[in-house]
Amino acid sequence: MIKKNWQTTLASIIVIIFGFSLFFFGTDGFTAYTAEKARVNKLMQDQPKFPNVTFEDSKGREYSISEFENKYVFITFLYTSCTTVCPQLEMNMSQVYKNIPKKYMGKDIAFLSISFDPDRDTPATLEKYRTYFHSDGETWRMARIPNQKELDSLLKAFGVIVIPDKNGTFAHNSAFYLVDNKGTLVDVLDYKKPDEAAKTIINILNKEEGE
Amino acid sequence: MTQLLVGLIMIIFLALPPVAKIMESVMIIHMHMQMPMLIIAGFLIAKVFQERFPGFFDKWNRNGLPGIMLFIIIVSFWTLPRTMDEALNEQSMEVFKFISLPLLAGIPLRDSWKRLEKLGRNIVVILFTILFFAMGWLYVDAPVQLCNNYLVIDQIILGWGFLTTAICFVIYLGYVFFVDPSKYE
Repeated sequence: MIKKNWQTTLASIIVIIFGFSLFFFGTDGFTAYTAEKARVNKLMQDQPKFPNVTFEDSKGREYSISEFENKYVFITFLYTSCTTVCPQLEMNMSQVYKNIPKKYMGKDIAFLSISFDPDRDTPATLEKYRTYFHSDGETWRMARIPNQKELDSLLKAFGVIVIPDKNGTFAHNSAFYLVDNKGTLVDVLDYKKPDEAAKTIINILNKEEGE
Repeated sequence: MTQLLVGLIMIIFLALPPVAKIMESVMIIHMHMQMPMLIIAGFLIAKVFQERFPGFFDKWNRNGLPGIMLFIIIVSFWTLPRTMDEALNEQSMEVFKFISLPLLAGIPLRDSWKRLEKLGRNIVVILFTILFFAMGWLYVDAPVQLCNNYLVIDQIILGWGFLTTAICFVIYLGYVFFVDPSKYE
């Protein structure tokens, strides 16, 4: 018994085309299977400006992003009570830090770790925490944003999702963020590949110097 | 008629904001309870469509292939980490979930299943066994948080949900291939 007819064949073709388009558009052309990847892709396309927020760093100094004017800023987001991802994130950040040539450090690029847990991460806590990762507190600073509203605006602009859970810990996504000398987010890098990240940054800095 | 009612009530109940919120707050309940229940709702509703439009299904889904492909596509789509996240973050995706799972997965599944030959059915089960092992392995073993809305621990639980379901499929397949039911009749 032949159970085929043209309508069924046509329906099969339509279904295949529909399925292909569904996956194509659902994953931005087969590039982003997770929301995190989609988020990073979109950030790099949108290139948001760093919002106007006031930092309070581990030395108790207060300033805005203009403190880093004419410098690239290499940023991570963390909280010091974190026992899982953040130490690894900061470890890798220190590896990037070590790989950047000294001549650029503090002059063309600054490192900044931003805490999203301002209640617990006081300047004193950050001052202690930074020493674990050999941050000097100058060219690599650690700071909190005391004003929750400002903090939220930054997290939102950079797509950092922070979910507090019951035990005083946070679930959060992690990445290296690179803000250029005009305060625009230009790159989001994989924090698990510090060597690659360092290479990318050195390339950018070399190019800037050449100009 | 009763089936239609039960199906519709299921969808409405699942769509109630507090119910949806609770179910979606746990990753494994979101994927392995809410989503299958939506498919079951569609499965129940299918009967009315089959009775109303018998010609349509006979013509366009005669051998069951288009329907089962549509089912597989829709289900696979909703196993992606990204779609789960987006269903929580974007209203339109959430609506699409509540429409696509009953209408584009539940209904075609019911209509296609009885049209498929034994071989076709087994192929579908084998396909889902492979898919579930793969997804289970992905969710259990992924070193990173795949969904921004869920913790890694939720992800591992979901992974084991996939793996145990896949194991059940394997047991079923073993039964199909090695047990001859006529011997026991």
